[in-house]
This record gives sequence, C-alpha cells and structure tokens, in this order.
Amino acid sequence: MDAHTRRDRFEQIALSLIEPLRRFLARRTDPDTADDVLSETLLVCWRRLDELPAEPLPWAYGVARNCLANAERGARRQHRVAQKMAAVDRPAEAHAGPGEGDDRLAEAMASLRPEDTELLHLWAWEQLTPGEIAAVLDITPNAASIRLHRAREKLRTELRKVEQPAGHEGSRERREP
Amino acid sequence: MSDHDDGAGWDDDPELRARLRAADPASSLAPADPDRVTRLLEDIMDTHTETDLPIETRQTGTRGRSPLTWLVAAAAIVLIAGVGLFGLLNHGFDDDVPTAGGSQTVTKLRAPGHEAYQARCMVPTAETLSRQTLAFDGTVKEIAGGVVTLAPRHFYAGSPTDLVTVEAPDADLRALIQAVKFDDGGRYLVSATDGEVSICGLSAPYSQQLAALYARAFAAQR
Repeated sequence: MDAHTRRDRFEQIALSLIEPLRRFLARRTDPDTADDVLSETLLVCWRRLDELPAEPLPWAYGVARNCLANAERGARRQHRVAQKMAAVDRPAEAHAGPGEGDDRLAEAMASLRPEDTELLHLWAWEQLTPGEIAAVLDITPNAASIRLHRAREKLRTELRKVEQPAGHEGSRERREP
Repeated sequence: MSDHDDGAGWDDDPELRARLRAADPASSLAPADPDRVTRLLEDIMDTHTETDLPIETRQTGTRGRSPLTWLVAAAAIVLIAGVGLFGLLNHGFDDDVPTAGGSQTVTKLRAPGHEAYQARCMVPTAETLSRQTLAFDGTVKEIAGGVVTLAPRHFYAGSPTDLVTVEAPDADLRALIQAVKFDDGGRYLVSATDGEVSICGLSAPYSQQLAALYARAFAAQR
C-alpha cells in the first residue's frame, strides 16, 4: 500500500470510527481525557492500519478501553474525576429519561460489579452483540454471551430490590410515600 | 453497529436495554467539529509514520504540534525516566544478558510495552515460534519486587542459564502476568525475541499441545 492509499484508507476508516468512539468515551470519562484517548486510539489505528479487522469498531473500542485505563492511571486522574463527579451531580441537560426510574436504575447499576456494568453498557449504549463485545473485551463470544446474560439477570434482581424493598417498611429513603 | 444477528438472546430484554439507553450520557453529545476532525487526522498522519516512534522529524520541527504530540512526548519522557529509575533501583549498572548472579547464571528478559497487549493475535504456529531467539520450559519460582523469576528445565533455543528473570515497570509487568497467566509455582513455556517476552499465545502455561509446537518449531535448531 503506498503512502497516499494508506492515508486515504485511514481517513475513511477513522471518519467511521470517530463519532462512535467519541460517544464511547463521553460515556466513560471527562471531556479532556476523552479527547486525549480519542487521539491515542486513532494513533493506534493509524499505526496498525494493516492489521485492522474487517469490522474495526469493536477492535477500536477495545483499544480505547485500554488507552482509557492507562490514562486513568495517570496523574491527572484525581483532578478530572473530581470534575466529572461535579458534572454528574448536575441534572442532565438532555434525555434525562424517566427521572425516578433513572435514579433507581443508577442505584441498581451502582450495586453491580464494574465488569457487569461495562458489559451492560456495551450492550445497551454501544449496542454491541456478544460477538462484538467479545472483540472489545478480548474474550470468546460464548463467554461474552454468558456474562451478558448473567449481568442482565443481576441487574434485574437489583432493580427488583430497589423498586420493591423487602420488609422494613419506610426504611429506604427512596421508597414512595 | 446495525446488524445483531450473531447474538443469540441479544435482545431478549428490549425493555431493560431501552431503559439503560434512556440513561445514556452521550445521547446529547453534539457531533465533532469537522475542521477539528480534519486537523486531528492530519496531525496523526503527518506526525507519525507507519513504523516511527512518536518523535517528530527535524523537517517538521515544532510547527503545528498538536496536544497529542506533547502528550505522547510527555508519556515517552515519563516512560524513559521510569525505566531508567527502575533500572537504577533494581539493576545498578549491571545490565548484561545473560549475567552471572553469584554462582547462578541469569537470563534477563523484559515485558513488552503496553501497546503490545492491544495487538490482535494470530494463532501461534511453529513457524512464528521458530523465529524466537529464546525459548524454554520452566517453572515460576517467585513473583516479587517487579520481577518474575523462572527456573528453566529445558531450553529449546538460546543460551541455557540457571535462571530467567522478567523485569519491567509495574504496569507492563502486570499486563504481562495477566497475558501469560504467570503464577507462583506454575510451569510455563516461554519464548522471547531480543530480550522481550513474546505474548499472543507464544508464551503460556505449559500444555502438551504447546510443548509439541515448541518441539516442532525448534527441532531443526537442536
């Protein structure tokens, strides 16, 4: 592949990856880190252009995930996480969802292990199939399918707990009056 | 992602998925500014050639360096400083491979850098293996202080030594331990090129299958 063809090919692929990657990162980190990790991820894509699979997006999500993990180990992390938390505490500007339901969902999600929430996010937010999730997490499609199934089960169980607290009347703050 | 035909049960709970989607924090994210995207891609393609390290050429100078460039440069400095400091703390000035450690000879290996763990892996073949400069069958004696120490029982390739150590900065070593599944007391088949442990299934816990592949790969060299 000559230099010109290579540039054309990268541009074509990068343009198809940028928006999904931006959303992927916006869901998981603060805007500054998202920008940095987007650049790093595209840089890896450029360097490994010849190795990109036919469907590069799940692979690119996997790269972004690793770059993000590295970035978050960095020195800027604490400061930015504080900013992110401050931003999260403010009401969402759009698509706030069904208010009360969101709070309960957030509470249920918060009680899951990070691995499970990530699977559920890849499924619901990135809309990936188990095969694609497997490519992101570098596990087998079968394992992805089983883990996703279990994560959904756990979330449903947690949601039931949050929405119908057992016994102890009035013991939960979120309970409807 | 529009096709979802490879996931049995992918959408067996559309209600739950829709509920999660309603809480998607990126649903209101505006598309990127096309000019910024163009600049970003140009920066990446101009600054970094296919095989170059992320270092600019003399010709490009410092003109138009993107924040990415500075980020990568800063990361490189931190990495170099880290490796240097690690070297000073752990090796003194004795960096020969292999070396004599008291009465025991030691082969010192490194873990690959973090980028290696993002690579797609081919199924290991005898041909790929045969290109490794060092290959041995050994048991992990210790994982401590940023070093994995192995006691080799058989060398398929390379100069035999009493011990083989793998040393690396924390993050790389952790990634390697995860990739190869190194565990105290475990038996492994390990291969390396130019002093760097090969991953992607080329180094892995001992199995008869992989041992047969090692034997086949290095049959001609013994």
